Amino acid sequence: MNVCGLAPKSRARVVQACERIVGREGVVTDPDELRVYDCDALTVFHRHPPDLVVLPTSTSQVADVLRLCYELGVPFLPRGAGTGLSGGATPLAGGVMIVLTRMTRILDLDLPNRMATVEAGCVNLWLTKAVERHGLFYAPDPASQPACTIGGNVAENAGGPHCLKYGVTTNHTLGATVVLPGGEVVRLGGKVSDAPGYDLLGVFTGAEGTLGICTEVTLRLLPQPETLKTILAVFRNVEDASSSVSGVIARGIIPVAMELLDRETIRAVEANVKAGYPLDAGAVLLIELDGPRAEIEAETAGVEAVFRGQGCLDVRVARTEEERALLWKGRKEAAGSFGRIAHHYYLQDAVVPRTKMPQVLREIEEIGARYGIKIANVAHAGDGNVHPMICVDRDVPGCEERALEAGSEIMRRCIEAGGTVTGEHGIGLEKREYLRLMYSPEDLAVMHRVRAVFDPKGLCNPGKIFPEGDERTEAGHSSQHASAGTVA
Amino acid sequence: MSVTTSVTDDLRAIVSGGFCLTGDGLEAYPLGDRKPQAALLPADEEEVSRILALVWEADLGVVPWGGGCHQSIGYPPSRYDLALDLTRLNRLIAHEPADMTATAQAGIRMADLQRHLGGHGQFLPLDVPMPERATLGGVLAAKLGGPLRCRYGTARDLILGMRVAHADGTITKGGAKVVKNATGYDVPKLYLGSYGTLGIILEATFRLYPRPEVEQGWWLATRDPDTAQRLANRILGSHLVPNRVELLDEAAARACGISGSGLVVSISGLPETVEGQRVDLDRMAGEFGTTPAEIRDAKGTCSRLSDFPWASPGRDSQGLQALWRGGVAPADCANAIQEIREATGPQASVAIAGTVSHGAVRGCFGAGTVEGLVKSLTAAREILVGLGGYMVVMKLPEAARDRIDVWGTPPDGLGVMTRLKAAFDAKGILNPGRFVGGI
Repeated sequence: MNVCGLAPKSRARVVQACERIVGREGVVTDPDELRVYDCDALTVFHRHPPDLVVLPTSTSQVADVLRLCYELGVPFLPRGAGTGLSGGATPLAGGVMIVLTRMTRILDLDLPNRMATVEAGCVNLWLTKAVERHGLFYAPDPASQPACTIGGNVAENAGGPHCLKYGVTTNHTLGATVVLPGGEVVRLGGKVSDAPGYDLLGVFTGAEGTLGICTEVTLRLLPQPETLKTILAVFRNVEDASSSVSGVIARGIIPVAMELLDRETIRAVEANVKAGYPLDAGAVLLIELDGPRAEIEAETAGVEAVFRGQGCLDVRVARTEEERALLWKGRKEAAGSFGRIAHHYYLQDAVVPRTKMPQVLREIEEIGARYGIKIANVAHAGDGNVHPMICVDRDVPGCEERALEAGSEIMRRCIEAGGTVTGEHGIGLEKREYLRLMYSPEDLAVMHRVRAVFDPKGLCNPGKIFPEGDERTEAGHSSQHASAGTVA
Repeated sequence: MSVTTSVTDDLRAIVSGGFCLTGDGLEAYPLGDRKPQAALLPADEEEVSRILALVWEADLGVVPWGGGCHQSIGYPPSRYDLALDLTRLNRLIAHEPADMTATAQAGIRMADLQRHLGGHGQFLPLDVPMPERATLGGVLAAKLGGPLRCRYGTARDLILGMRVAHADGTITKGGAKVVKNATGYDVPKLYLGSYGTLGIILEATFRLYPRPEVEQGWWLATRDPDTAQRLANRILGSHLVPNRVELLDEAAARACGISGSGLVVSISGLPETVEGQRVDLDRMAGEFGTTPAEIRDAKGTCSRLSDFPWASPGRDSQGLQALWRGGVAPADCANAIQEIREATGPQASVAIAGTVSHGAVRGCFGAGTVEGLVKSLTAAREILVGLGGYMVVMKLPEAARDRIDVWGTPPDGLGVMTRLKAAFDAKGILNPGRFVGGI
C-alpha cells in the first residue's frame, strides 16, 4: 500500500510527536486502518490515505498538532464523519488527518437564548434529538444528518431539504472556536451578534477546511412550529412539477421544503423503501409547510391551487406522523436507493435560478440520452438546487469517463443558465476545474488572498477548492503584494 | 499626501461633466471638521475602477460615500484626500420576481429600491434608519439593519453576491445570483460591515421576501424590564412568527410616540393568520400581567423604531448628544438596558431600545457637558462588556472623540483582520484608519 505523503523518517518523527500530544491511542498508523480515511463519500475520484490519523480530544490538542505541522511543514486536514460529497476530506497530499470524532460533546444548551455550543465532532442529528424535548430544533438537515458532524457541516456550509425556509449552516452558526493553521486559537463570533470586525466566521464557514479547524461551534436553535403539513403532489412530467415550484414561490409562499423526484428516482425509491410514491408518475413534489396553524391552512390552499393550475394529477396530504415520516423516508433514502438501479452513481449538485429549472432539467435529460447514460433527478427544487444522479456501470468500458463528461456538461449548462456549480456539496477536489467557469482569475485571486492570510504556508487541506496549477497564482500574488507593502 | 493639480486633471478626465468637485462642492462631504480635497461622482463601474487605479498609483486616501448619513461611525480617517460618491451608480440592475432575487447598484437609495420592489409585491427586509437617504452600498458596508431582523435576519442572511472594486481598481465578483451557493469562499461576507476598508461595494444581489398583505403592531406595557424580557423570551421561544420584538425604555418609547416602557410586537401575513397569532399573543401577554394594545399607526411607529436613535423627533436634547449600539446575548437585553439606566443616573438623558431576538441594543445619551457624556458612555460600555457584549459609539461631539474609543476593545482575531487589510489594500488607501483596531 502506498503511504507516500511523508518520507519515512519525518513520518516517524511526526507520529512520535503526535503521540506525545494525544496519547498513543489517539494516533492511527496502521496502513489497513488508514485506508478507511482515504476518501470521503465521493468515491469515484482520487483516493489517497493520510500518513497518519490523529484523534484529538480537546481544542488545545488540535492547536498543538497544527503548531507541530506548521513547524515541520507537514500538510494536514480535518475530517468529521467523512460524509462529504466533493472530496473535501480526501487527503490528497497524505500528511496528518485530524479526525474530530472524539470531540462529540454538547457543551452548553442555553435555552433562554435558544443556542447550543457543541464540539465539532457532535453529530447533527444528536443535537436536534437533544433539544427536541425543549421544543426546539436545529434547522440544517443534510441527508447524512444521522452521521455527519457539525464541524463538517460548518466546513461545507451544509444545506438540506429544510433549508429553503430556514437557510443553510452559515445562517445558523453564531460562533466558533477555530484553530488557525499556525496553531493560534481564535474565538469568532459567539452568543453576542454583530460585534465590530471583519466577519471571519462568515468566510470560514464553507471554506471546506482550508482556513483552519473549528473545534467548537455555537449554533442557533429554532422553536418548533405549531403545525407541519406534508404534501405529496403527483405530476405527469418533470416540467409541470418544476413549473409549479416557481408558481408557489411567486405566490409569496415559502415552504420549509420543496423536493422534486423524477420517474427514475421514484422507481428506485419504491423498490427500496416503499414510500408510497405512485410508480406511474413522471415526477412528484414533496412539500412541507410549517408555521402557525391559520397560516398553514391558508398556504396549503394556495399551494394546491398552484398545483391544480399546473396539471397536477393528485395531491395527497399526510394525515398522520407515520404518513409524514414515510413520505420523507422516500426522499431521505433517495441516494441510498440508487443501488437498486446502478452499481455506482455520481451525485451532482448545482443551483439554477428557480425559473430556469424546467429548462435545465430538460437539458439534463437530453445530455443523459446523448451520452447513453441513465440520469435520475432529485432536487431541492424550492432553491433551484438540482442533484442529478448519474448512473455508472463500471463493467461497461468507458462508462465512468462518459459519466464524468456528462457531469461536466451539466455543470456548464447550469452556469449558462445563471447558476452555480455547487449549492451545498462544496468544490472539494471534485469541482476544482469548474471554479474557473464561474470566477475570473481576478475573482479567484481574491480567494487566494484570503487563503494566504489564514494559511500562509498552504498546509491546511491543500489541493482543495482551487483549480490545479492555480497555486502558483497564489504565490505570485502574495509576492506582488509584499512588494507593494514595502512601497507603502 | 496632497492631491496635485496633475492628479486632479487626470481625475477630471475620468469623471467629466462637473462630477469632480472641489472648493465649495466639498461642503457635502464633511468628516468631523475635515473635508476632502476633491469629491468624485463616477457614472459607472468603469469610472470607479479608473479612479481607484489612479488613486492607488498616487497613494491617496479615499473615503467611499453613499447617503453620508452614517459617516459619523468610526475613527476619523488617517488621511482624507478624496471622497468617492457612489450615488450615481443607482440602478436596479435585475429583478426576477419569480426567483425572488434582485441585483442593484450600490448608490441606489434604500427607499427607491424598496419602491421598485414593492411594485411587484416584494421587499428587501432591511429596515435601516433613514432609508430615504441611506444607500444600499452604505447599508451593506456598515451592515446596518433594523428591528425586522427578528424575522428575516441581517444583511448577512440576505446577500447572495457582490461586485466590488478593489484598492488598485480591479473589479471582482463574489458569491452568485442564486439563493444557494457553496462555490469557493463566501467572500461577500468579508465586505459586509467592513466599512469599505477591503473594497468598495459596487453592486449586490440579494434575496427578497413577499411584502405581507397585513401588518399589525401591539404595545405590551410591562411593569418592569425583567417582566418585559421574560415575556419576550416567551414569545420568541413560541410558535409565533413575529416581525419585531422590540424592548423600549420610556424615553425610546416616547421617541416612537408611545408612553410607558415595554415591548413592541408586530406580526404580518394574511389577515386570518395575523388574527390567529394575535389571539395567542394576547394569552401569552396575560401570563405576564399585560394586555397588548393595538398600535393605530403601526407603519409610522415601525418606521420610527427603525430610525431610532438616528432620527427621532421629540428626543429631548440637552445640548450634547451621543448615539451608540451594542450587543449582548438575547436574554440579557432588558438587564443591560436596566443596568445602563441605573448607572447613568436619573438625571441623565437616556433612551435605549433593544431588538431582543439578536440582543442588539441601541441608544441615545444627552448631556450638558463632554464630561457627562463620556461618563455615561463609559459606564454603559462597562456594563455591556461585563455581560460579555460590546458597545460601538456611532456618533458623538468632536470634542469627545479623543476621550473615548468609539470601537472599544478589538475583537478576537484582530491579527487575521489586520493581515486581511494588508493583503487587500497594502497601501492603506481605502477608508484608512477608520475601522476597529485602526484598520
